[in-house]
Formats: sequence, structure tokens, C-alpha cells
Amino acid sequence: MLKTGISILTIIYCTLCQAQSDSIKKLADRHLKLKFSYNSSLIYPGISSGIEFPFQQIDIQRLKKRGIGKSFTKGRFLTGNLSWYHHPYFHDNFYLTAEWVMRRTKSSGFIFEFSVGPGYSRTFLGGTTYRVADNGSISIIRHAGYNYALVTVGGGFGYDFSMKRQLPVSIFGKMNLLSMFPYNSTIYFRPVLELGFRYMPGRIKSKVTKESILK
Amino acid sequence: MRKLFLFSLILLFSGCQKEKIAFSRNVTEVFYVENAGASMRVMVQGNTLSNTYILIIHGGPGASAFFYNTKYISQNLEDKYAMVYWDQRDAGASQGSGNGGNLNLDQMVEDLKKVIQVLKFRYGKNMSLFLLGHSFGGLIAADFVTSSDYQYMIKGLINVDGSHNYPLNDTLTRQMLLTVGQYQVAQKRHVDKWKPIISYCNVHTGNFNIEESQQLEDYAAVAENYIDSIKYVNYFSQVLKYAVTDKYPLTAMLSNLIYSEDSNFNKELAISEFSSSLNKVTIPVLVLWGKYDFICPLALGEDFFNRISSTDKKMVISPRSGHNMILQDKKFFCEEVDAFVLNHR
Repeated sequence: MLKTGISILTIIYCTLCQAQSDSIKKLADRHLKLKFSYNSSLIYPGISSGIEFPFQQIDIQRLKKRGIGKSFTKGRFLTGNLSWYHHPYFHDNFYLTAEWVMRRTKSSGFIFEFSVGPGYSRTFLGGTTYRVADNGSISIIRHAGYNYALVTVGGGFGYDFSMKRQLPVSIFGKMNLLSMFPYNSTIYFRPVLELGFRYMPGRIKSKVTKESILK
Repeated sequence: MRKLFLFSLILLFSGCQKEKIAFSRNVTEVFYVENAGASMRVMVQGNTLSNTYILIIHGGPGASAFFYNTKYISQNLEDKYAMVYWDQRDAGASQGSGNGGNLNLDQMVEDLKKVIQVLKFRYGKNMSLFLLGHSFGGLIAADFVTSSDYQYMIKGLINVDGSHNYPLNDTLTRQMLLTVGQYQVAQKRHVDKWKPIISYCNVHTGNFNIEESQQLEDYAAVAENYIDSIKYVNYFSQVLKYAVTDKYPLTAMLSNLIYSEDSNFNKELAISEFSSSLNKVTIPVLVLWGKYDFICPLALGEDFFNRISSTDKKMVISPRSGHNMILQDKKFFCEEVDAFVLNHR
């Protein structure tokens, strides 16, 4: 029994040591970010703004046998966005989204991210909208449009200037696919390209909490 | 902050509607007609000073009026008349929310009536209005002109390869595929393409169910490509050509097309026929048909032409076109439409 116990403890200890030697994880700084972007379907204009709350951010150093390997930051964010695009003669779409963002920032500053989240859309039709009553009288519907549930999925890349130059700004390009429903009786998919920047108010210098996390 | 608020208001209201009716030789206007859960897009383009309007009822179900708005039509019809491109419910750029239960023929005829009422409201009750139904649009047009006294809302009807009787359509499509296919095989033209079509038609002889009907339509759609004298229509290049300039909402058009093509509505269509009520039609009618239209064979056009009671009627056949005369024999199409409208407006 004692031998078995010692064996198990030894295995656990070795596993922990192994984990520590492979990578070092540190809780990184958490800063709220503001986002502004051009939000379009390539040729149709739009804008998007949002606020980003860091949920979890970890600095990771992957160690190799000979010296330090690559290091990067893994972030999980919750974002709230208000966006709009204008498709002439079709509709103007204002939509609110809440996204779960997974982002990896390399030590060089390059960013890769993926996001998914639900939302709400309100469209305004791209032309005067008429309604004809049964008696033949015709009226104009003001602010005609529809409410839709929305799900957005997106991915993109960018560059975080705070990694190298201490600038509290990052730029990004991201492709989102909006799916709005029930659109007529089906789902309306709309690819949207976002080009913009994120600003971190209050961030002057990167601070790292000296807290190690063991797997 | 105040400026930001004002800017937001401007953005909000720039997306909303403005009522501005223009009359000129070169108008482009878009408005929507809301009915039974759908907001249907209507584009008026061309010469509204002419007071003559040609309302296109597109094919499908689920296609779009965008495809009829070609450069050739702009140059050869829109300079004289105003073309009205109406996207039916669940088609093209038409929008709505959870309205699939209203996708049926009666509803579409009511939609058409309301589109006409709005056109007259905007452009004047004394306008000269013509309906131009193509393919599935021919079925809506046939239903419309045989319903109540609706035909008197328009000056004339132009039927371009339209189907007014789906069961008869299937029978005639099968006959034409067999007859033309066997001739083409005897001439050693596209033998490998025709053989499976002929085999299918030999096995499926009548009382077609919805799957057989759709298979016949699929064969009919490709069959005209095996007639060497018929111009091949590349829809993909058509879309590429006009998608940006005409501001196609591409994904909406695709979603609507996929939904409409697979909806239960097609079961209703499969048994729809208006041959028995066409004798009610007394308004001037022009029938334009492609000689090599397998989707709506020439005999279907003859059935339509022979059954209407109109004394002022004309049928013209294009030897160079299949189902899409507007693209395959555009000069012939525009000249015939122009002559008919000019004589009856």
C-alpha cells in the first residue's frame, strides 16, 4: 500500500514538473478595449463600434529543451458591438451583438482571433414601403423593416502595437458571417468585412501579475 | 457628444424612407409593397414620362426580377417605356419574417394586384400598364387575368414562354424531349447526352409525381444546350456581370431561391392549370415563344393562344431561342414587345 502510494505521488510530481518545464503561464494584464471599425460587405459601407471586456488573459511561454521557445498571449474576451451597414435599395441593418472572442497574440504583436455570438438585428427597407388595405386605400409605412435574431461567427488577424511599441492600439481585419432568421422563411447569411482598430484607454505600460499557474 | 448624437440621427434616418416620385426619361426608383408578411421590392427603371409601364413577372418560383434588367433592355425598352421589376415574395430582394405559410398562388395574385395598385397610386391612375410574364410568371399572369375583373387593370398581356398549365406542361416537355432527342440521336448530335434523357422519358410516361416533374424540368433545362443553334445562357456570368452595378443582395437571392425551390408550394403548382378558364381573357395579348423551349414547350404556348378569347392577339416564335428569349434572342424580344406596347398603350 505504501509502495503504491509513493509510486502515485512520484508520478504526479513528475507530471507537474514536466508541465512546468514545457510552458510557463502567467495571468497577464486585463484592460477594457474600445473598438471602431469600417464594417462592410466589401462594396457597401458601414461602421461598427464596440467595447471589449477581458475575461481571461494568459501569457504563455513554451519552453524548448535548448532555451526559450515561442511566447504568446491567449485571451478570452466578451464584446458588445453596435454595427450598421447600408445596402442601397435593399436595407440598412443596425445590429447588436455580444461575442465571445478567442484571441492569440504573438510576442511580435501579430493577432489571430475567432469569435462567435448571438445578436439582434433591426433592418430598415431601402425604399418607401406601401401597404394596401382591403378597401384599396394606400398608406406609407414609416421606418418599415424587420426584427431578426442573429448569430455571428468570425475570424481575423491583426497587429497589437502595445507588444513592441507600448502603443495602446491594435489594428485588425476580420471576416464575419451574419446569419439572420427567420428571414422570410429561411436564414439570411451576410458576409461582413471589418477593418478597424482597438484602443485600450488607460493602458500605458504592460504589467504582468507574478502569478504562476500550474496545470 | 452632441455632434455624435446628431450624426447618429442622420445615419438612422438616411436609411429610412423618402417619398419622392420622379418623372423623367431615365428614372431609377425602388419601393416596397408590404403584404401578408412580405415586403416585395419593386424597381421602376426607364422612361416614366411615357406614362407606359411594363411590369415583369419573373420566373421561378424564387428567381428574381434582377435577371431581366439587362443592358440590352435598358437601351432598347427603357428608353421608350418604364420597366417595372417586381421581386415576388420569397424571391430576389424581397424581405419578411416567418412568412413561408403565405407562399401560395392566390397570395401571389393578390400581391400582384397590390403592386399594380401602388404603381397607379405613385404614377397616376391613367397609366398604360402591361404585364409581361415569363416561365412561372406566366402562371401568375394567367391566374391574374382570369381572376375576377383584374384583367381590366392592365392594357395588355405579354406571355413569354410562360406556363399556364403545369400538368400539361409536364406531358408536353416529355413529348418534346423524346421527339427532339430521338431526332438528334439519329443525326448523331450529342448522342451521349440525349440517351439518358430518352431512356427516362420512355420509362416515365404520364401521371407524373412531383419528383418526376422536377426531373423532367431538370432535363428540359439542359436539353436546349444540346441544340447547336441555341445560344448557351451562362447564369453565373450574368450574375457576375450585373451583381455590383445593380447592387444584387446575392445571399438573400440565393436563400430565397433555395427555399422556394424546395417548398411545399411546388406541390400546389404541380396541379395548377388555367387552360379551362383562359376563355375569360379578352384583353390584347402577345405570345412570344422560343422554338427550342423544352421547359415550356411551344405546344403550351399554342394551347394558351388558342384558348384566350381576345380578338386582338398575336403569337410569334423565335427560331433562335430556348426558354430564355430575353437573353437568347434579345433583339427579337425587344422589337416584338416594343411593337405590341406601341400599338396598345
